Amino acid sequence: MTLNDAQTQKTYTISDIGGFGNERRRLLDMGFTPETKVNVLTRAPFGGTVLVSLRNFIVALREDAASLVVLKGRA
Amino acid sequence: MALKVALTGNPNVGKTSLYNRVTRSFEHVGNWHGVTVGSIEKTVTYEGREVTVTDLPGMYSLSVYSFEESIARDRVISGYDDVVVNICEVNNLVRNMYLTLQLVELGAPIVVVVNMMDELKKQGKILDSSRIERELGVRVIPMSAKFKTDSEKFMSEVCKFASSEKSKPALPYLSKLPLSKIESIISENLSRSGLKKDWACLKVLEKDEFVIEKLALSRNQKEELSKVGDYSGRIAQLRYEYIDYLTDGAITFGLDASKKSRNENGLCSIDRLVLNKYVALPLFLFFMAAIFVVTFGFVGKWLSDLFELFISVCIGNPFTSWLSRVGAPKWVIAFIGDGIINGVGGILVFLPQVVLLFFFLALLEDSGYISRVAFMTDGLFRKIGLSGRSVFTMLMGFGCSATALLTARGLEDENTRKKTVLLTPFMSCSARLPVYSAIAGAFFLAGRPLIVFAMYVLGAVVAIAVAAIMERGKKFKSGKLSFIMEMPPYRMPTFERVFQIIASNAKVYIIRVGTVIFAFNVIIWLLSYFSFTQGFVADGSGSLLHTVAGVLAPCFAPLGFGNWRAVTSLLSGLVAKEIVISSIASLGGAEAIFAGEYARAAALSFMTFTLLYTPCIATLGAMKKEIGLKYMVFGLFLQLGVAYIISLVVYWIGVLIIISKPSAWIVALIAVGFILIVALIFGVRRVIKSGCGTCGECNRICAKRNRK
Repeated sequence: MTLNDAQTQKTYTISDIGGFGNERRRLLDMGFTPETKVNVLTRAPFGGTVLVSLRNFIVALREDAASLVVLKGRA
Repeated sequence: MALKVALTGNPNVGKTSLYNRVTRSFEHVGNWHGVTVGSIEKTVTYEGREVTVTDLPGMYSLSVYSFEESIARDRVISGYDDVVVNICEVNNLVRNMYLTLQLVELGAPIVVVVNMMDELKKQGKILDSSRIERELGVRVIPMSAKFKTDSEKFMSEVCKFASSEKSKPALPYLSKLPLSKIESIISENLSRSGLKKDWACLKVLEKDEFVIEKLALSRNQKEELSKVGDYSGRIAQLRYEYIDYLTDGAITFGLDASKKSRNENGLCSIDRLVLNKYVALPLFLFFMAAIFVVTFGFVGKWLSDLFELFISVCIGNPFTSWLSRVGAPKWVIAFIGDGIINGVGGILVFLPQVVLLFFFLALLEDSGYISRVAFMTDGLFRKIGLSGRSVFTMLMGFGCSATALLTARGLEDENTRKKTVLLTPFMSCSARLPVYSAIAGAFFLAGRPLIVFAMYVLGAVVAIAVAAIMERGKKFKSGKLSFIMEMPPYRMPTFERVFQIIASNAKVYIIRVGTVIFAFNVIIWLLSYFSFTQGFVADGSGSLLHTVAGVLAPCFAPLGFGNWRAVTSLLSGLVAKEIVISSIASLGGAEAIFAGEYARAAALSFMTFTLLYTPCIATLGAMKKEIGLKYMVFGLFLQLGVAYIISLVVYWIGVLIIISKPSAWIVALIAVGFILIVALIFGVRRVIKSGCGTCGECNRICAKRNRK
């Protein structure tokens, strides 16, 4: 499953980051590395974007970026 | 030689705040990511030593994604600076130190500043940076850029560091990577590229496009490299593991900590309300409406009226009556009374409202709310080919179009950036406010606040509608957009900062009115009351401007204001839009210019044209700088074209309303509004349907972009 399928207000562990090039590296640079715990806080009122917390900060991701974050399942 | 110090760090960690503090500057700051888009520098003297401090745009990593980040990256890797200050934010130390590690990898002469220590203290926590200092071999300075004493400490530490021995610390995780293998492949290119050896190898392993391009590798080498495998994920993971080790136990609850531990992984209560599915949009609209009501309604209006009274009673009237008493020539009295006091003073009275508007915009920025707006509107904006980040630029456009355009640099997608730059001038900037306010005041009396508000809404609606239309064409179709944006924590602006915003905006406004606007007003007045042959002409007919602007005037006849005075003020408005109204005032006032049966329709149409046509030369300059001459020219024609068409529509609707009976025009207005809404919804739906991947053509365009 990916971050797009994750339920809100639940904590998950990242297993891998898909994609390639800049998009993938930006996610890695922002701290989306394997074994990191992430929590989907909420989805945008009009959809399209999710708000995620990890490593004690909050970041907004569009669905296309969120779909690159592969999760292990509930932590 | 001055000591060269560069400030780097993640976005929104307070680099510019520190810069302002150290160099006593007033550069723009805000609580969101990407406020600073270019580098600025200033030389100060500290204890007899010259220190040149450079503030750089924020970056998350030395592998960059946008133009502004590459400015910072290029500066850091050039090795130009004696000291590279890496500013980290204590609340977000782990993520911030990712860049720190990369700077250490590079071998840059770094000093780490851990900023916002006051926020940590408020949470009852303490920082122990000894392990970071020991293991990483860098100097760590915990401080708050808010406090003056801390910036003194900072300067002394930087100077001390500059004269100390520097050694490159060893990073244990580097031994886990096949760097020697990379080195053997690219060794011959290394010396040619001028890059640092160890760092270049690591970046090649990370597949950093910039470094790979710089090395100019042959096809053979590239093949060799691809055999080594993909390490980009592994490197990021190793860095974060090392940071976790370094920072483990660094931040703890102090002994006197209050027991209320914040829920670290949840949404705070403000966000739960502000981002609520049903409340979010109404709340945003409520905030915007509240800002307009306060600025243009009771508070701002009251302050402006007070100011106006002061100018006319204390300066204007005594002065002109004194002039006529001493028997000054008629034209001198007219020049001072109409040209200067009415024209320039007429703009000066808007000072309170403009300052209030900038104050509220700063409040949106500083509180952190603007990032939430970007997050929640991204879904809507993407449908018209813009990004949630465009919201920053467009909202800043309510303040000043020219400076707002610079904030578009943070947008990653090229077409989205271009579109944002092209459309932001439609947002009504503060310079246009005096125009609506004065004309609406003359023609619509009680309806003035409503008309002014309608102009702001019209500007935003036009920007969105043009975006939707552009998205349907191929030229500006937005590419695959990635939107990764950090949410800053909510912060209260300090009292000092509020005072600074008010003082600096008031200063800028007064200087503007006193120099450019004053000078232009004098020129316009003289040109419009003196003719080639007859000297002073009291009614302006036959004057220089009458002759010149009269040529253009017929073009504007269909819009209802085909007279030379209106055209003159529009032309002079290109210098600064306030001049539109100061010219009108010195050319005889709005009532004289918009005369006749349909005066109200003409006035409305004139306001619409002022709203939508090119804001000023400064904005054109900013457009040229941001998107190039070709698109600037396109933008100029777009603005003139849109302004002409919409004003035409407004004028003829106005004329129809005046001709027909009131009951009939209400029906007509509702009908037109309904048609517009339907057209807009239809347009947006078409855009969604023609989204990426549904037609062959679109895929081809995308493929082209992906290759790039």
